[in-house]
Amino acid sequence: MRFFVDANVVVYSAMQGPYQQGCVDVLLAVADGVAEGYTSTAALEEVWHLELSGKAGSLTGLTRRAHAIFSPLLPVTDEALQIALAMRNTSVGANDRLHAATCAANGIATICTADTGFDGVSGLSRVDPLDHAAVLKLLGR
Amino acid sequence: MITERVQILLTPAQRRRLEDEARRQARSVASLVREAIDARFGTVSRQERIAAAKAIAAMSGGRYLTPEEINRAVEEEREAFFADH
Repeated sequence: MRFFVDANVVVYSAMQGPYQQGCVDVLLAVADGVAEGYTSTAALEEVWHLELSGKAGSLTGLTRRAHAIFSPLLPVTDEALQIALAMRNTSVGANDRLHAATCAANGIATICTADTGFDGVSGLSRVDPLDHAAVLKLLGR
Repeated sequence: MITERVQILLTPAQRRRLEDEARRQARSVASLVREAIDARFGTVSRQERIAAAKAIAAMSGGRYLTPEEINRAVEEEREAFFADH
């Protein structure tokens, strides 16, 4: 199953806390090639902003390592922007709309994210990294 | 360094598309195939990807934020960046 990996999954993989184990499982499965997880330049831009800000502690090297795992990244294309601009009845912000639109442009119907805002996005089902059974299913185990 | 020789079979249509594109870009068919492989699969080996994932899991300097706090921190950082530029 192809799925999109949101920025917070990358961030939580590097942070001790309730989300870490599920997020690390996702990253390792993608890195190993046993799960079809993708992310985009826009998602890694968010990780980079957080890394450079220092607001979540020291995350030096996180974006570079995440890029190694997910390269080549999904591009945010003209088509994705058009889809994002056309999205109605959603409470998610501009960047999250771009993520949802990037999924739509690439035929991806599942997003792995801790952000419950994606629950209301039409055409996209969310897998929460805290939901162990759902993560295992996502990773084909 | 280019050292590996691979022989593959293509459909006539695929060959035509490759040769047309090579002519249009004034490049060799081989360079187009190499570029397509890198674009589709990236240039990072499986071992390097796994090492990167393990290195992320071993990072210990992060401070836990809720998903909402992460979104807010990213927005604030973005605003600060554009305010400075």
